[in-house]
Amino acid sequence: MMFSSVGRSLLTVARQQVRSLHRTTPACSDKLFVHRDSPENNPDTPFKFTPQNLKTCDVIIKNYPEGHEAAAVIPILDLAQRQHGWLPISAMHAVADLLKMPRMRVYEVATFYTMFNREPVGKYFVQICTTTPCMLGGVGSDVILDAIKENLGIGCGQTTGDGQFTLLEVECLGACVNAPMVQINDDYFEDLTVNDMHKILNDIKAGKKPKPGPQSGQDHRFACEPKGGLTSLNTPPTGPGFACRADL
Amino acid sequence: MLRLWPLRQVVSSAGARFIPACQKSTAPEPAPELVEVFVNDKQVFVEPGTTVLQACAVAGIEIPRFCYHERLSIAGNCRMCLVEVERSAKPIASCAMPVMKGMKVKTDSPVTKKAREGVMEFLLMNHPLDCPICDQGGECDLQDQSMNFGSDKSRFTDIAFTGKRAVEDKNVGPLVKTIMTRCIHCTRCIRFASEVAGVEDLGTTGRGNEMQVGTYVEKMLQSELSGNVIDLCPVGALTSKPYAFTARPWETRKIESIDVMDALGSNIVVSMRTNEVMRVLPRVNEDINEEWISDKTRFAYDGLKRQRLTTPFLKDANGQLMQTDWESAFLAIARKLQGVEGSQMAAVAGGLVDAEALTSLKDLMNRLGCETLCTEEIFPMDGSGTDFRSNYLMNTTIAGVEEADVVLFIGTNPRFEAPVFNARVRKSWIHNDLKVAMIGAPVDLTYEYEHLGETVDVIEKLAGGNHPFCKVLESAKRPMVVMGSSCLQRSDGSALHFMVSTLANRVKAASGADAEWRVLNVLHRVASQVAALDLGYSAGVSGVREAKPQMLFLLGADEGAITRSDLADGAFVVYQGHHGDQGAQMADVILPGAAYTEKDATYVNTEGRAQLTRQAVTPPGMARNDWKVLRALSELLGVTLPYDKLQEVRQRMAEISPTLVRVGEIEEANFFKQAIEATKAGKTSLGKEPLVPPQQVLKDFYMTDSITRASPTMAKCVQAATEAESSVH
Amino acid sequence: MSKYIEKISRLFRIIKENGGVLGSVRTVFRMEELKTGTLVGEDELGNKYFHNPMYFVGRSRWVVYSDAAGHDYDGSQVPAEWHRWLSYISDETPDKADLPKYPWLAKHTENQSGTPQEYVPYSTTRPKIQAWKPKTEEVYRKHF
Repeated sequence: MMFSSVGRSLLTVARQQVRSLHRTTPACSDKLFVHRDSPENNPDTPFKFTPQNLKTCDVIIKNYPEGHEAAAVIPILDLAQRQHGWLPISAMHAVADLLKMPRMRVYEVATFYTMFNREPVGKYFVQICTTTPCMLGGVGSDVILDAIKENLGIGCGQTTGDGQFTLLEVECLGACVNAPMVQINDDYFEDLTVNDMHKILNDIKAGKKPKPGPQSGQDHRFACEPKGGLTSLNTPPTGPGFACRADL
Repeated sequence: MLRLWPLRQVVSSAGARFIPACQKSTAPEPAPELVEVFVNDKQVFVEPGTTVLQACAVAGIEIPRFCYHERLSIAGNCRMCLVEVERSAKPIASCAMPVMKGMKVKTDSPVTKKAREGVMEFLLMNHPLDCPICDQGGECDLQDQSMNFGSDKSRFTDIAFTGKRAVEDKNVGPLVKTIMTRCIHCTRCIRFASEVAGVEDLGTTGRGNEMQVGTYVEKMLQSELSGNVIDLCPVGALTSKPYAFTARPWETRKIESIDVMDALGSNIVVSMRTNEVMRVLPRVNEDINEEWISDKTRFAYDGLKRQRLTTPFLKDANGQLMQTDWESAFLAIARKLQGVEGSQMAAVAGGLVDAEALTSLKDLMNRLGCETLCTEEIFPMDGSGTDFRSNYLMNTTIAGVEEADVVLFIGTNPRFEAPVFNARVRKSWIHNDLKVAMIGAPVDLTYEYEHLGETVDVIEKLAGGNHPFCKVLESAKRPMVVMGSSCLQRSDGSALHFMVSTLANRVKAASGADAEWRVLNVLHRVASQVAALDLGYSAGVSGVREAKPQMLFLLGADEGAITRSDLADGAFVVYQGHHGDQGAQMADVILPGAAYTEKDATYVNTEGRAQLTRQAVTPPGMARNDWKVLRALSELLGVTLPYDKLQEVRQRMAEISPTLVRVGEIEEANFFKQAIEATKAGKTSLGKEPLVPPQQVLKDFYMTDSITRASPTMAKCVQAATEAESSVH
Repeated sequence: MSKYIEKISRLFRIIKENGGVLGSVRTVFRMEELKTGTLVGEDELGNKYFHNPMYFVGRSRWVVYSDAAGHDYDGSQVPAEWHRWLSYISDETPDKADLPKYPWLAKHTENQSGTPQEYVPYSTTRPKIQAWKPKTEEVYRKHF
């Protein structure tokens, strides 16, 4: 009886470990790539570019040659997202009308790039990198993620009840040297410890603006210099004639 | 989107300062040298710029492909056409690679074979193994090519299908069924929709494994050519909804025929099984429809199975139409016709009638002494009217649009009156920088055009030479003026026709077009009109209204041009046709005829090109081929027609007009000057109403004749198009 | 010689039994046959049944259909009980045989094929062609 249950559990463990070579893991996105009308996201969702942003649009469109206005679709979609917080379908329609391009061509761009949020996100969009370097570097992204979850009381892909924070687990954001890191809206917070993370989130909740960049975690680095001081180029530069033959 | 920044706009905006590069040197451009390419060590010479795939085709080797299509832009995303090229590190995608001098292509090498096997393995990895329930089975490119070029064994071990990709199906309307899991992302449908059909509703959303082909929002594919994506789809992702699960391609017999839903005469293949039309597919004819057909052509065939006249009908003593046999129907007609003068008779031919039946009817009525033979569709008869063939033909021809540089549409909506022609105009608009202008109600033609106005006075101004657009027309090398037959239905039709002919002649004289170039074109709406005019029918039913006949013979006339009030009291009405519609309802005797899939018949398209339909199925019940019915009736009326065989009818047709038997050929007609001189006498004044074609939006397109009105699929289309109009997306 | 005399005399007898020359011509015209025999019975439809053992078996029993049938007679007009005798199933005529009579026995009907009363089983398959039905007079008036 006991042997059989042990055997069964061993088998289960073994089955989880063995993966067929020619099988892709189902890595499905949690995003939908079709649009379904919802109360907050439908063609009647109010969206209008502010006069200020319309001026910005003009400047962006002028960057591209006449007849190629459609090339401005990515920056203008980004502008629309910045204005509205996320990108409802009505905003895509506004962009399509502005650039005189078919709506489908705007949908294609907006669905291709994952940084366009086609669903509502909180005022502070917390993206935590959990790719290998961040997972291994510093204290590791696992504990940071737990800290965020504990602090905000939400899981990945969820938004807090007051609509202030959305948490998302993302792939590499290109700050591997300062692992672990999170991106909150446009700011990178690097070299995190659990305390740093709590402090950042609490500051934001209190309405303060925390300082972006490397945090306390790794000896208050300025940027991405090595942790233990320079390991190369740490001697004065050699003068001319270094390591040359004496007769030269 | 496709026509970005055309050169013409540069020229017009830069004005005199712009000097085209070609004017810098007067020396003739050297002829492009042919490029020498070796395909499997076989030497071929091709034009520079040819792709490797085309060069291989020249050498007689077909490269497997999914995304590449001759009539669409090159995408290069399926990778099936990979071939090895000597001194190239990797196999190259032959559909997108231009040839280079001395290139040595190997299409049978181990590298090529392995590349194909690899691509095929990846494609099949996420393609469902549902061929037994897939409608594409038997005509599937993926099936065929995996047999030919795929690996002979599988390395796929996911028998539980836990990792297979699955995509939700889209609803794109009542014609195209989508099973998106089968999609291999070749994007042919997307390219067709945006390039040929001109509706930018299809696209890819998402990326990577999550990529989907679709409309993102739930939306009907609002195009009159949408059915062509079914043919284009190399797999079973897009299939025909009405044809779903009805037949397999190897069970059906294919009969090459001609379409009669519009006046273009698109070439079609009718698939038949057990005496039933299963579906209609396009047939390649570069001069007419290339390889596209409209949705009406493709999907209206179920109208051939409903509301059919299968037996003769005869009105009994109570005035009720009762089923009867041929003999009693004929006898009833013969009895009624006794003592009726020929001048008291009239005949009206509808839009779906073939030339053989028209000939027989004309001969029969003429023998009875009747000269009032009309068509339902009106065409101006004043002046030279239909005396000159060039007055009522599309003289430039459909393919001629590709040579034209300016097209002026007058009172027509070619998108719905001749969808395939419109696709050809759009093609020229994209590739040849064709300039399009339009007089008439502003409609969506799927391409940009200059809207000159809605009323007739614009034509007057143009004909008089005092309109800004005259400059464009005069500077054109090959201008075209296309007048819709729909605008000639007005009371001032003849004046309109005269005005447009004047305009065309003026434009031709002013522009430097060569003598053989013909400017004036008439775009007809119904398939029978040109043959009827060739045979000497008078266009329009005004003659019948004047005559108030005792006896009226309706040959497939269902548009309600004539009602009982136009006839003498107690007039005797005979209807012959294939559908129970308005004509049959007002008749005293009904003679069941054959529809276009049920007879060998001649139809003349709007270019004046005679084409033959072939019998695919037998006429239902007691229905018979129309000319045979008329021949049998003539015997009982005592004026036996002198032909017993189809060949003899065609001989008679050749006597009347030899063009009717020159199948597939166009007889050039170029008598514009004479026509206009003869017309000058009979000039009437122009009306003030705007030119509004009857088919303006998509929902007007689907139901236009007795076959389409009987079709449940077309009814669904009308409903879907109406709903799509009010849709928020 | 006597053989021929007998044959000729039989011919005359048959002609006489069939109502003279004219009657015989009429019988031949109707039945295509001229026979002599004893009347063994008549059914309720008026068909007369004859027997003559002089003819060999198979031709020795015959029916002269009722005049009401005219020229449109056929085998199915013979009722089942006479069919029994006529086809040599039994040598007893129905009136002699003790045939069972049940209240549920249907009255004899002749074959209705080819007439408007014929039996046509309804089709279980969907028709390929849906035929047009004219609108009724009332609708017709309203429509036009």
